[in-house]
Amino acid sequence: MRSAGLRRTRRISRASAAALVTALALTSLASCGTSSSKDDDSSSSSKGSSDPSAPLDPKTKVTISIDCMPPAAKAAELREWKEDIKTFNEKYPNVTINGKSTPGQCNEPPRFTAMLKGKSQPDVFYAYFSDLQQVLDNDGAEDISAYVTDKTVPALKDIQPQVVDVARKDGKLYGLPTSNYTMGLMINRKLFKQAGLDPNTPPATWDEVRAAAKKIAGLGKGISGYGEYSAGNNGGWHFAATQFGLGGDVVDATGKKAAFNNETGKQVLQQLHDMRWEDDSMGKTQLLKWGDLQKQIASDKLGMFLAAPDDIAYMVQQLGASYETFGLGPIPGAKGTLFGGNNYLIKKGSSPDQIKAAIAWLNFKNLTPGKGQFDWARTKADKLPVGLPQPNFFLGESKTKDDAARAANATMPVENFKAFMDNPVPGKAEPPKAQEIYKILDNAMSGVLTNRNADVDKLLSTAEQQVNQVLANQ
Amino acid sequence: MSAPTLSPRKATRPRPGHPGPARRDSAREEFLRALRRNISAHGFLIGAVLCFSLFSWYPMVREFILAFQKNEDGTTTWAGWSNLTYVFNDPAFWQAWRNTLLFTVLALLLGFVVPFAVAVVLNEFRHGQGYLRLLVYLPVMLPPVASVLLFKYFYDPGYGLFNRILGIFHLPEQQWLQDTSTSMLSVVIAATWMNMGGATLIYLAALQGIPGELYEAAELDGAGLLRKIWHVTIPQTRLILSLLLLMQIIATMQVFTEPFLLTNGAGPEGSTTTVVYLIYQYAFNFNNYGSAAALGLVLLVVLAGFSAVYVRLSRSSED
Amino acid sequence: MASNTLVSRRGSTSRKSARRRSEGGAERARQRTLISPAQLGRPRGKAVYWIVFGLVMVVFTAVFLGPLYWMVTGGLKTTQEVVQSPPTAFPSSIHTENYSQAWTVMDLSKLLFNTLYYAFGALAFQLIFDVAAAYSLSKLRPVFGKVILGMMLATLMIPATVLVVPQYLTVLDVPLVQRNLVNSPWAIWLPSVTNAFNIFLLKRFFDSIPGELLDAAAMDGASPLRTLRSIILPISRPILGVVSIFAVVGVWKDFLWPMLTLPDPGKQTLNVGIYSLASGVPENVLIAALTIASIPTLLIFLLFQRNIMSGLTAGGLKG
Repeated sequence: MRSAGLRRTRRISRASAAALVTALALTSLASCGTSSSKDDDSSSSSKGSSDPSAPLDPKTKVTISIDCMPPAAKAAELREWKEDIKTFNEKYPNVTINGKSTPGQCNEPPRFTAMLKGKSQPDVFYAYFSDLQQVLDNDGAEDISAYVTDKTVPALKDIQPQVVDVARKDGKLYGLPTSNYTMGLMINRKLFKQAGLDPNTPPATWDEVRAAAKKIAGLGKGISGYGEYSAGNNGGWHFAATQFGLGGDVVDATGKKAAFNNETGKQVLQQLHDMRWEDDSMGKTQLLKWGDLQKQIASDKLGMFLAAPDDIAYMVQQLGASYETFGLGPIPGAKGTLFGGNNYLIKKGSSPDQIKAAIAWLNFKNLTPGKGQFDWARTKADKLPVGLPQPNFFLGESKTKDDAARAANATMPVENFKAFMDNPVPGKAEPPKAQEIYKILDNAMSGVLTNRNADVDKLLSTAEQQVNQVLANQ
Repeated sequence: MSAPTLSPRKATRPRPGHPGPARRDSAREEFLRALRRNISAHGFLIGAVLCFSLFSWYPMVREFILAFQKNEDGTTTWAGWSNLTYVFNDPAFWQAWRNTLLFTVLALLLGFVVPFAVAVVLNEFRHGQGYLRLLVYLPVMLPPVASVLLFKYFYDPGYGLFNRILGIFHLPEQQWLQDTSTSMLSVVIAATWMNMGGATLIYLAALQGIPGELYEAAELDGAGLLRKIWHVTIPQTRLILSLLLLMQIIATMQVFTEPFLLTNGAGPEGSTTTVVYLIYQYAFNFNNYGSAAALGLVLLVVLAGFSAVYVRLSRSSED
Repeated sequence: MASNTLVSRRGSTSRKSARRRSEGGAERARQRTLISPAQLGRPRGKAVYWIVFGLVMVVFTAVFLGPLYWMVTGGLKTTQEVVQSPPTAFPSSIHTENYSQAWTVMDLSKLLFNTLYYAFGALAFQLIFDVAAAYSLSKLRPVFGKVILGMMLATLMIPATVLVVPQYLTVLDVPLVQRNLVNSPWAIWLPSVTNAFNIFLLKRFFDSIPGELLDAAAMDGASPLRTLRSIILPISRPILGVVSIFAVVGVWKDFLWPMLTLPDPGKQTLNVGIYSLASGVPENVLIAALTIASIPTLLIFLLFQRNIMSGLTAGGLKG
């Protein structure tokens, strides 16, 4: 329903649980040491410092609740979570972390809406990158700008700025990221081989995609070459992604006008139309939404589709596929790609100590190379997936370390993602009013995919007009 | 789970057996009796009245208030007519109405005529009626999600059963849900399959109430089969027919589950977006409760019109 | 929804027919219908009858049992076979593990239990509050009773889905008690009491109970509660049965409301639970889950079909 982009990422938290690496442990322990050594003002008050920029006093007694703890069904991840709390409590013995788990997805839009409306979110709550405006409209999150510094989050300077900035509004910071994704081209390596294509070089342009799709569809047996969404607002979401890949945009820089009724926009729709109707390489079943293409590719009925890397973990763990099946390349066109992810926000009305404790925990669990979710050796030891290209929001030194640890502990053939890793594409955030715009663009997508005689120009100009209306209506 | 205390207050029941002599101030006695009777009567009512107040009457009032409010950056402010203008300016608004009306018309053609025809046929059978009735009612007992997803599989243009059946009869394959011209019809077919059992049984009951002499009389006049249906069957069941018709109009205008599950809401080029689905979108996907309430208000006005007709009809039928 | 109407109808004709039927005695009390017995008696009539009958039997069996057959066997196929074109009539290899996988992966026992819990809870609340309210409005006739009844009936005209947004916001923060009912069964139970139609049905039935009976009871000094329990309820069995079916089926089939108010996966109903997990399991497992989800109500229906069907038609008509 809500942008699939967002729905997908929830699984990242499961896929990327936390762990411990010997090699990295040293460095990270060192960094931990530095941060604690700076707690020099800790003795000043047992209630914690009133200075927001000061890190949490280790003696502070405080309790925070937090959601998205792994459920009992995910035993290994839950064990890691508990281990991490134990480690964390060695340093902050008086911080109590009450984890709340959700059996299904950590953030389901209707539940999230209800939670905000009812102000029943835990002290630290899990959100999608694009949820910020909704949270603020409901007055749900605390401004933590003053609390987040190089002292409290040592790796801060090494985190991609745009991943942090999604939680910023009017210069105020409201959250810290846990994961990110950028979209690429997911391929089924088995089908690539069967069709005589090289699975190590996924198509990089749309012409290549089209040619490959045709070949794969030629295998028959109900196999389609390329798959695309056109329902549940996911069609619009992928329209945006494809558009970004071609260097186009959805909304212009002012945020007030639609920017897709142009050559790239036409190309997006036209090539889909041609693949569907001229090449017949997209299968007959359309009106798909998130989950449908994953099922198809996991059962070897689909050759390619646009996806984020964490889909692989989903398909392996839920749909019974194996890691070897999948390969990943950059988004065709590679001029830009849609990026998204999750972060944790802190409930409005939390005390300064709670905020500090939350930041300390989030820093340890999600933002420290070699610790928590980036403890790849432990992840491997627990037989959880290691080696997916994302989440990966570090830069510089942190990235080098993290990538090395990831590669060293990989539990899947990472060379299958080489094309994706070696060709990083600049990420682009979702447009304002994303859901409304995606809903409108769904119609354009379903138009070309279900109607042989679709009029691309008309679909685009109608959508443009409607999007302009939505943007004017803010 | 502490709930609001809704249990009917153990009413202070009047004890009619009270041996009260007081015959002079009988007016006072009368009053006291009325009072006691009222207290106990309202005691019996209180549970339902509380529920109605909280979950029915209050939301109605709130619908009006919400329609004129908006939520931005944590504050709720009066929005004037802006929610309504937003709704009326939304291109999906008119489309949703067109779709809903189309659904209603199709649902009437199929969902109204088919059960009646089935009932007329079944009523003639001397055998197997029980079995056939059972069959027709079976889908009503399935969880809607099961029926709907089943149809989703059947409609699939690739591996679906329906295209296979068409193929057996050498008919052209259809795109079913994936074609703007057939998507709504496909939804209605599924909805009819799911829901026709109830209506069929009602018609059957009504048909069994038609006095046989009427048919005999018609036959004496030399009426054929169709004329008998037209002049006896339909007039005799007119009341139930008209009431079911209105109920169905009102019910189908609120359709949500079937298109929501079958086409993920919008359908090809938005061709199965219904008004209720749009309300759902506004509120739960766009977080725009004001516009959702405003659209609800519009739907309310339309449905109130139909309902007024319904009440008039059921009144006149009562006499 | 549609089936509701009939029940309120109490056509004089149907009563007459009911009487006639009962007078008809043991000998297949067939009442004269559209086609005259004489016509059917003729050889040509007989032939046509049997042809039509045979056709209807085959078509109906295919239309109404076919999908169930597809569902049961679909759950036994492999993922590949389910989406294979053309579809197979019989699974080429039997995979019963799909069923056990569906049972565990989708946690169907939990979903089933939840749904039953909500349905029967709603039934209990409706039986208590709605019966009490109908009794009060019908027999105790408090002041403002007419107004209250009018306001309740007015909600019939405002369909539930229109009020979905304000109702939802009310459940998030119930006025007076200041509680958030989301994820609690009360969010289903309490709003279910606001079933004006059931109150209306009950009241009509109670209205038809002769006042003398109650007067006699009052003379004996029976309290209103006792009168309700020992006089009204025993004669109201048929209508209580009908109301119960509506109450349970209403909750069983509801989708949008439980989807909104019970978002916690551990508290979802069968419909919503299967829907939200549908994208996360392979097709064959999903179909197996649908089969399992359909079994309980089908079983109940087959066991009690006589009561349910007669409750829906005859019982309702008499009401």
